[in-house]
Amino acid sequence: MGFLESVALYSFLRGPMVWLAFIIFIFGSIYRIYTLINLAKKEKVVLPFINIKAAIKSYLHWLIPFASRNWRLKPYFTIFTFLFHTGLIFVPIFLYAHNALWYESWGISWWTLPEIVADVWTIFVIIGCIFFIGRRIFDPTVRFVTNYADFIFVFICLFTFLTGFLAHYQWVLPYKAMLNLHILFGEIMLIAIPFTRLTHMYYFFFTRAWMASQAASWKTKDW
Amino acid sequence: MAVKPQVLEEKEVYISPYFPEYVRPKIEDPGLDETIKRLTPEKIEKAYQAVFGKETARIKAIIETCIHCGLCAEACQWYLSNDRDPTYSPVAKVKMSAWELIKRKGKVEPGLVYHIARVVFTECNICHRCSLYCPFGLDITFIIGLVRRFCFLLGVVPQRMFEMNQAFMATLNQVWISQSDYIDTLMWREEEGMYELKNLRVPLNKEGVEVIWYPLAAEPKAGVYHIDRIAKIFQVAGVNWAMVTINDAWDSSNMPMFTRDFFTMQRIVKGLYENAAKFRAKKLVLTE
Ligand code: HEM
Ligand code: HEM
Ligand code: SF4
Ligand code: SF4
Repeated sequence: MGFLESVALYSFLRGPMVWLAFIIFIFGSIYRIYTLINLAKKEKVVLPFINIKAAIKSYLHWLIPFASRNWRLKPYFTIFTFLFHTGLIFVPIFLYAHNALWYESWGISWWTLPEIVADVWTIFVIIGCIFFIGRRIFDPTVRFVTNYADFIFVFICLFTFLTGFLAHYQWVLPYKAMLNLHILFGEIMLIAIPFTRLTHMYYFFFTRAWMASQAASWKTKDW
Repeated sequence: MAVKPQVLEEKEVYISPYFPEYVRPKIEDPGLDETIKRLTPEKIEKAYQAVFGKETARIKAIIETCIHCGLCAEACQWYLSNDRDPTYSPVAKVKMSAWELIKRKGKVEPGLVYHIARVVFTECNICHRCSLYCPFGLDITFIIGLVRRFCFLLGVVPQRMFEMNQAFMATLNQVWISQSDYIDTLMWREEEGMYELKNLRVPLNKEGVEVIWYPLAAEPKAGVYHIDRIAKIFQVAGVNWAMVTINDAWDSSNMPMFTRDFFTMQRIVKGLYENAAKFRAKKLVLTE
């Protein structure tokens, strides 16, 4: 336990590792988007075919709960995935503790979530993760196409939120140890986004644009 | 009262050695059984390289975005009509074909090519519904099509589909109709129709028409009465129309699309458009 709680680990994770994580996340993401667009330029039919209006309609239908047919067919899944994804994006950005860190290092800060909202939303994300894990184990259709990586993605999210939450309430492990773990998982998550299928975060907008444009050319809709 | 189908005999089953969950009746199809005997590792890898070797934006985005959530299953008629058997879900078909090929970089045995061909040719209709149910809109059909092309390049295609493809290669139509047969049939139907509609015409190869109708080859072959019915409709509606008999380009059922034989697909479409341009038609009407 000594090392996990140590100031040395903390200063490493709060210092160079934060830089590294954000740099890899930001530049990795730009690189991934840039290479995909470049590759798309080489295919004759992709870019000239894109119909922006259809794409935007399709984004809206799939980014609003129950606005697409499949979201309506799977109500539980839809509720969990939206709580999970909104939490994943908004909680870390608007968390008071994270803001305080930005303020400490850069002197910048912005609007923050009330503590109770952040806590409840965090719990929802954790429940969402458990739901996803459960599906992957108990739903035969999902189990058949699941591999280890799929579990790892969910576990990275689960551990980041769980350790953040436990650190805040200083449960289970001493605060410093839990916080170190939290920061470590948070950084792993940021680094993993450009290199794994978590890139779906931005590829979503490309693959949807392509299918929406095709659907529009068939005079049908893809939601 | 629910009617229960009677099972007459216990069928022998095929259990995939690669995916034990995949259990199906045993089938005999020389297009699959015989052709895999001719495969060598080099041939398989070459076909793989031809189709998947060059990284393209679509393949990359589709494979690297799929989060394996299984939501596409709800769309698929095969999955729904087989008691939600997991091996029929669209993503499962991609898993058992494209993922496996990509994972092994095309270094696969003939037995797996058999399995893959069976999945992509006999358990998917290329209907595109799954893409409309996937939250990312992933073009699964595009991937299945590429895998079909991989199988086609190796000649591993169900016999019936391959024969149909050969008919197109040889005659540009589905059912081996020769030009003289085609002309003969159209003229015969004109004559038949005349008894019912005075002065009925099936105009052939007329220049400057409004509409060219390209039938399916099955119509002049097996549903001949379609010809005079459609002719009557055009004539009564007062449409300036014609059918085309030249260059063998008149069958609009582009079946090689289903085997992804790009060369023949292109010959068909090009022929239809060239004929249309030659007769300066404003619109094409196709049987669907
Ligand atoms: C990159 C480095 C990160 C650092 C340095 C960091 C730091 C912190 C700190 C100091 C806390 C507060 C603990 C307390 O209240 O005493 C915290 C909480 C939290 N963090 Fe992070 N974090 C990082 C990344 C992330 C990421 C990527 C996520 C999620 C996507 C995340 C989600 C959370 C959550 C959910 C909480 C707990 C909220 C609650 O109080 O219920 N963090 N983090
Ligand atoms: C704008 C950003 C994002 C969009 C539009 C998006 C969209 C999606 C969609 C459509 C799915 C498929 C099924 C479902 O809804 O669960 C999904 C699944 C998933 N996403 Fe995201 N996502 C985004 C960001 C993220 C981020 C930042 C992470 C984590 C770092 C993440 C982690 C996951 C995980 C783990 C799953 C799989 C859930 C399962 O196991 O079924 N997503 N996402
Ligand atoms: S394209 Fe194939 S896999 Fe997709 S829904 Fe249609 S039949 Fe099923
Ligand atoms: S719905 Fe889309 S992302 Fe989910 S498993 Fe099917 S293809 Fe993959």
